[in-house]
Amino acid sequence: MSSPPPPAVVVDNVSLRYRMYKEKNDSLKTALLRGRRSVHEDFLALDGVSFEVPTGSTFGLVGRNGAGKSTLLKCLARIIYPDGGSIRANGKVASLLEVGSGFHQELSGRENIFLNGSILGMSKKDLTRKLDEIIEFSGVEKFIDQPVKNYSSGMYVRLGFSIAINVDPDILVVDEILAVGDAAFRAKCAQKFVEFKEAGKTVIMVTHSMGSLKEMCDQAAWIDQGRLVQVGSADSVVAAYMASVDEGK
Amino acid sequence: MTYLRELYASRELLSNLVMREVKGKYRRTFFGQLWSLFNPLATMLVYTVVFSVIFRARPSVGDPSGTDIYALWLMCGLLPWLFFNRVVSGGLASITGNANLIKKVYFPRMNLPFAVTGSTGFTWLNEMALLAVVLMLFGSFVLPWIPLVLAFMALLALFATGLGMMLAVLTVFFRDAQHFTAIALQMWMYLTPIIYPITLVEDAADKYGDWLLTVYRLNPMERFVTVFRQLMYDNRWPDLIDTAWCVGWAFGVFAIGFLIFKRFENRLARLL
Repeated sequence: MSSPPPPAVVVDNVSLRYRMYKEKNDSLKTALLRGRRSVHEDFLALDGVSFEVPTGSTFGLVGRNGAGKSTLLKCLARIIYPDGGSIRANGKVASLLEVGSGFHQELSGRENIFLNGSILGMSKKDLTRKLDEIIEFSGVEKFIDQPVKNYSSGMYVRLGFSIAINVDPDILVVDEILAVGDAAFRAKCAQKFVEFKEAGKTVIMVTHSMGSLKEMCDQAAWIDQGRLVQVGSADSVVAAYMASVDEGK
Repeated sequence: MTYLRELYASRELLSNLVMREVKGKYRRTFFGQLWSLFNPLATMLVYTVVFSVIFRARPSVGDPSGTDIYALWLMCGLLPWLFFNRVVSGGLASITGNANLIKKVYFPRMNLPFAVTGSTGFTWLNEMALLAVVLMLFGSFVLPWIPLVLAFMALLALFATGLGMMLAVLTVFFRDAQHFTAIALQMWMYLTPIIYPITLVEDAADKYGDWLLTVYRLNPMERFVTVFRQLMYDNRWPDLIDTAWCVGWAFGVFAIGFLIFKRFENRLARLL
């Protein structure tokens, strides 16, 4: 028997502190007036969070608004760095926290595919190879040579999503963006996630929809006030979380 | 080392960011890229009328080229200055201006100030090419000096990028930096012999003491402007001391800017 593959991501005792100043902090005057005293309160957005994400799993993060899910996701995506603890990833990480970040309004959809794709870490070779697939998936073929500022918000989001889903990382970090486009597009996205999973890739997602979480995820972690409450199979975590929400009412 | 390797691996992103600036800037304008030439031409016209026609400033005659045209003499110093100015102020705004991107996607952040240098450099190359053609029409045979001109353009780009990176980080902490820099750059231009010849300062130094000239020449841009004039207007080898200063300033300032930026890079998303 072969040993199980190493976990895709190891989150080890991660904590992150936001420093809240009484006054706005980014002008010279306030810094000078404050002098050596620093008037601030610490706010622990993440407090000693540890868990492992198994390779090939779809892993959900649940919790109330402001619980620290998005902060954790940003740490996983290497956008921000925790003050304590560490996050180790085995493989290439790509994140989808916002679709169409870095689109240039005046450039065409096609030009933006190359721009946005390279921001997300794709090479020109990969992009050229996948260009047709991306355009087809987005369903904006007719407008692909128009500047994206003329796109409807749906088209904009669909194009952004099509690029991101084609990055083809080992680990994909996704924020609540599955609710994009119409029903048909959402079905296509769900299909894409299934393919992703079948290829042995890992997905970590934040969602507030317990339905899609139970449907898509096999593992989940529940976070509240920056602390890990429970981690385990998606069904058990969702059940415990829902029970606490009902209690709260 | 891993840091440099990752930076190098993102070179396609850099070229795409440069393209975004270059292509996006003049979209939907009739003259397109030509606008980037109109701007320095208009500046040249204004300065030539004011300083050459009204104030009767005389440039030194090019030695050995023999060129004696104020507008061309001006442009040999003004074009490098305008490039420097745009890279510093653009680099300064490159982090705060892309806050949305930085907070949503991971990529080596240094590509943002580098992209400013790249797109501005593209414009500058066009301007310098046009200037070289005009210089040759008016008797300054600049052709053999072009490799050296390109080398000094690269040095100036390093210098400006380094300064831009320092200011970009400073601006994240103190938004005052951008307004301060705008004023400082304006004063800096008049402290550099761009629209007036350095002989005026030498005359003043004769009167008030040599320290005046020594202090005046601590300005890195004075060295760069002098070298560009020696190469393009005079058609002679740049002064060795000036060259050494240019190399020193370029690598020194770039290295400091690079290290400062690298040190704060991971914190940028949280500070914005």
